Amino acid sequence: MRRRWLTRSALLALGCAAVLAVAACGGDDDDSADTSGGGGAANDDVAAVVDALGGSAEFGTPEQGGTFRIENTDFALFDAFDPTGEYFGSDWTIYSNLMLRTLVSYNFSTAEEGGNDLVPDIATEIPEPTDGGKTYTFTLKDGIKFGPPVNRAITSKDIKYAIERTAVNKAALGSYSNYYRPIVGIEDMEAGKAKTASGIETPDDKTIVFKLTKPAGDFPYALAMPASSPIPQEVAKCHPQRGEYGRYVIVTGPYMTEGSDKLDVSSCGAQKPISGFNPNTGLKLVRNPNYDPSTDDTSIRQSYPDRFEIGVNTNLDNIFDKIERGELEGSFETPPNATLKRYLQDESIRDRLRINAGDRMWYMYMNLTTPPFDDVHVRRAMNLAMDLEGIQRAWGGPVQGATPTHVLPQSMIRLDDYYPFQQPPFSGDVAAAKEEMKQSKYDTDQDGVCDAPECKGVIHGNRNFAPWSNQTAVIEQSASQIGVELDSRELSRSAIQIATGEPKRKMQTSSGTGWGKDYADPSTFMVLFDGRNIQPEGNNNQALVGLTAAKAKDVGADIPASGVPPSVDADIDACTALLGQERTDCWTTLDKKLTEEVVPWIPLMDATAIDLLGPAVTRYGFDQFGTEMALAHMAVDPSLQK
Amino acid sequence: MGRYIVRRLIYVVVVVLAVTLLAFVIFFVLPSQDPAVAFAGRNPTADQIEQIREDLGLDKPVPVQYGLYVKRLVTGDEYGWPGLGFSYHTRAPIKDEVSKRLSITLQIAIGGAILWLILGVSIGMLSALKRRTWYDRAAMGFALLGVSAPVFWLGLISLYLFWQKWELLPGTGYVSFSESPKQWFLHMILPWSVLALLFAAVYARVVRGNMIDTMSEDYIRTARAKGLGERQVVTRHAMRAGLSPIITLLGIDLALLIGNTVVTETVFNMPGLGNYILVSTDAGDLPAVLAVVVIASLAVAILALVADVVHALLDPRIRLR
Repeated sequence: MRRRWLTRSALLALGCAAVLAVAACGGDDDDSADTSGGGGAANDDVAAVVDALGGSAEFGTPEQGGTFRIENTDFALFDAFDPTGEYFGSDWTIYSNLMLRTLVSYNFSTAEEGGNDLVPDIATEIPEPTDGGKTYTFTLKDGIKFGPPVNRAITSKDIKYAIERTAVNKAALGSYSNYYRPIVGIEDMEAGKAKTASGIETPDDKTIVFKLTKPAGDFPYALAMPASSPIPQEVAKCHPQRGEYGRYVIVTGPYMTEGSDKLDVSSCGAQKPISGFNPNTGLKLVRNPNYDPSTDDTSIRQSYPDRFEIGVNTNLDNIFDKIERGELEGSFETPPNATLKRYLQDESIRDRLRINAGDRMWYMYMNLTTPPFDDVHVRRAMNLAMDLEGIQRAWGGPVQGATPTHVLPQSMIRLDDYYPFQQPPFSGDVAAAKEEMKQSKYDTDQDGVCDAPECKGVIHGNRNFAPWSNQTAVIEQSASQIGVELDSRELSRSAIQIATGEPKRKMQTSSGTGWGKDYADPSTFMVLFDGRNIQPEGNNNQALVGLTAAKAKDVGADIPASGVPPSVDADIDACTALLGQERTDCWTTLDKKLTEEVVPWIPLMDATAIDLLGPAVTRYGFDQFGTEMALAHMAVDPSLQK
Repeated sequence: MGRYIVRRLIYVVVVVLAVTLLAFVIFFVLPSQDPAVAFAGRNPTADQIEQIREDLGLDKPVPVQYGLYVKRLVTGDEYGWPGLGFSYHTRAPIKDEVSKRLSITLQIAIGGAILWLILGVSIGMLSALKRRTWYDRAAMGFALLGVSAPVFWLGLISLYLFWQKWELLPGTGYVSFSESPKQWFLHMILPWSVLALLFAAVYARVVRGNMIDTMSEDYIRTARAKGLGERQVVTRHAMRAGLSPIITLLGIDLALLIGNTVVTETVFNMPGLGNYILVSTDAGDLPAVLAVVVIASLAVAILALVADVVHALLDPRIRLR
C-alpha cells in the first residue's frame, strides 16, 4: 500500500554519521558510552533525537492562504487515482485530507496524537453496533454537498453506490474490496449473483444501515477508507472501466481538482478529463466552493493553503534541493542520504526533518514447510542469533526505523520492555541461540551448531539494492554462527516478489519482504498468517503458517515429515469478532503467540516515515492513516517561498 | 533513387517489425514481473489474478498477443492510429501521452542539435584551418572533455552552478511555449547546452578530421591555383565535401535521441519520451515501454534513410542504387 520506499542511494554511512552528529552536539557522550556500551548507547542517543523529531510542529504562526507545493518522482498509482481501487498511502492522504470525506475519518495526526482513532466525518457520530455486532446505523450530517459540477447534497445512496462499486468495478480487484465483504450481499455482487447489496439499506437520504454476515470489530475502519466516500452515480456510471473515474473525481472535501467546474456532466459523451489532473505530471487542487467548514472539524481538517500542487520530478536529488531552497514545501519521497545526514547534523535546520512511525514492518520470513525451518528451535535460534543492531546500522540507523521485538509494528500493538529473544542492544545472543539450537533435530551432536545437511546451502532471497542488500552480509554472518549456511540470492524487487509469492518455488527464506498496514487494526497484518489466505501466486503468507494438506496440493507446496505447520486461523477468527479493549487484548496475545511460539519471521526493521520541510512551512502534521505528511494540517507562509 | 527509397522503406518496415517482435518477447514473454500479479494488489486471490490476466489480454497465446499488437499498431485501435493501446499505469491512451512527450523530446533534441552543430562545426573547422596552433590544441582539449564528461554529471554541475549557486536560470521542469515563451526558453537552455556540449565535442573532432583530409585534396589545390581566395576555397569547395558526413551523423544522432534522452530528461525533469520510458519501466507499464521502443526504432530507421538520401544529394560522388 505504501508509496514510501527508501532512497535508492546507499544509506550505510548514515547511522554512523548520525551518531557522530549527536556526539558533536550532545553533552554526556563519554558517560553514556561507558555505562551502556558503545554502539548501543550511541544508537540510543540518535533514537532520542529521532523521537524528538516526531509529531506535529509549528514554525511561526500558521495562516490561511498560499500554495503548498509537493513533488514526487512519480504520481504513485495503483488504479489511476480512482478512489474505488486506488491503494497507495500517498493517494489516501490526498483523498482523505483534502478531497474526499467519509462516514468516519481520522484527525490526521500521529498515533500518539490520536491519529489512529476514528472520528465522525460525514456521520453525525460513530454508532455502537447492534444485533450482536452485526448492524451499524449511521446518520449523515446536513450541509455536505458534492463539489462542482455536481453541486448537490450527498445522500446515503451515494455511499451505498460507492461501496457497491468495490464489488462490481474491476478497479477494486485485488485492492481492498475484501474489507467490505462482511456486508450482506457484497460477495453475491462480486460473484455476479446480485445487482445490489441487500446488507446496505438507505431508508432515507440521511440514514445508512450496514448489516454484516458476522461481527467484524474493524468494520468502521473500512468506512474511513476512500473507496467508501460518496460517489455521484451520474458521473461515475460513465466510467465503468478500471481506473477511468480517476480523471473525473467529484469531491466532498475542502479542495477540488482545478478545472472541475468546467467538467460537462450533461451526458457521458460530453465528459472530458478534468484539466487539473494528469497522472503523468501531477495534480492541482483549489478550494471547493461547496465545502462548508461548519460541517467539518478543524481537528480533522484545518485546510490552511488556498491551493495544493502535487507535481512529478524524476530527479530525486533535485526535489530535495528545491525543498531546501524554498521552491517546494515537501515531498512524499524519502530524502537522500546526504540530505538526511546534513539535517541531522545541523541543529539550526534539524527540526525541518520530521520522523514518525511508518507502520511498516520489514522482516525475514522462514518457510515453515522447508527444512531446517520446519523446526521451531531453528527458527527461535535464528531470532536469537540475528545481529539486529547491525541490520539497523546497515539500513542507516535509528532514523530509518526501530529494532522490532515482535511481529506487529509498535505503533499498532505497543509492547514495552518485551524481549522474547534478545535484550538491547540486539546485537545477537549467540550463546542463547546455541542453547536453543541444541534442542533441534538438525543439531545431531547437540553442540549448538546445526550440523545436518539441511542447514547447508539454505536459499535466502533478498533485494539487490540498498538498504536491503546492505543487510545480506550481517544476516549471513549471524546465521553461520549457529551453523545455518545461507546461499543468498539478491534479486530485483519484482523478482523477489515472484519468488517469495509462489509457494511452489519453495524459497526457504527471504529478507527482502515487508508489509504496511491499511488501517490501525492488527487484522490488516494478520492476513500474513492466515492459512486460508495462502495463494499459488502473489502469496503474502510466505512462511505458510496454517498450511493444510489440501491447500499444499493446490499451491504446490510440500507438507514436511514433521507435520503440517502450526495454524492461527482460529485465533484470528476469535479476535476478529471482538470489539474494544477485548479485541486489542486478543490481538496482543496473538502477536505474542506468533512471535514466541509460531516464529514465522525474524522482524528486522519497524520502519519510520521521513518528511523534509521547506522553509516556508509554518505548520506540520503527520497523518498516521496514510503515513504521509498531514496535508489537512499543513500551512505555508507565501512570503518565505521562492 | 526512387527504387532505392522504396527498397529502404520496405527495410524500415522489416526493421520495425523485428524490433517490435524482440521487444514484445522481452517485455511480455520474459518479463521480470507478471503484469497481472503486479496489478492484482497486495492480497489477491487466484481468481482475481486470472480476471486481470483476462482483462489485459494476457491469457491468450503469445503469438496471438503479438499478432493483435501488430494489427492494432498498423490499423489503429479505439484510441486512433497508430494503435499503441492503453497504459496499465494510468489507464489512459498511450498515443496521447506519447504525442505530447515526443514533442518535448523533439524540442530538446532539435534545439540541442542546432547548438551542437553551430559549436561543433565552427570549432572543428577553425581547428582544421589552424592546425597545430594553440587554438587547435585548446579546441581538441575541449572536445576530449565534452566526450569524456557524462551527461548526468554535466547536468548536475550545470544545475548547481546556474540554478543553485548563481541563480541565473530556473531549475528543472518544462514550461510549454504557449504558456510562456520566455520561461520555455529559459528552461530549455540547460538541457540544450548539456546535450550540445556532449555532441559538439564529437562533431568538432569529426569535422576537423574531414576538413583536414579535404583541404589536402587535389581539387582544393586546383581551386587555389585558379587564384581563388582562401575564404572561397573553404566555403565553396572544402565545406561541401568536408561537412557532408555530418549529415549522416546528425540524422542518426537525432534519431537515437528520440529514445535516448533518458538521463537528460531525468536530470532536468523534462517529461519527454526518455523520461516516459524510465517511469514506465519502473511502474511495470509494459505497453508504454513497448510504445516508446517502437517509436524510437521507427525514428532511427526513417531518419537514417533521410540522412542517406540527403547525403547523396549533397555529395555527387555517392550514388544510391
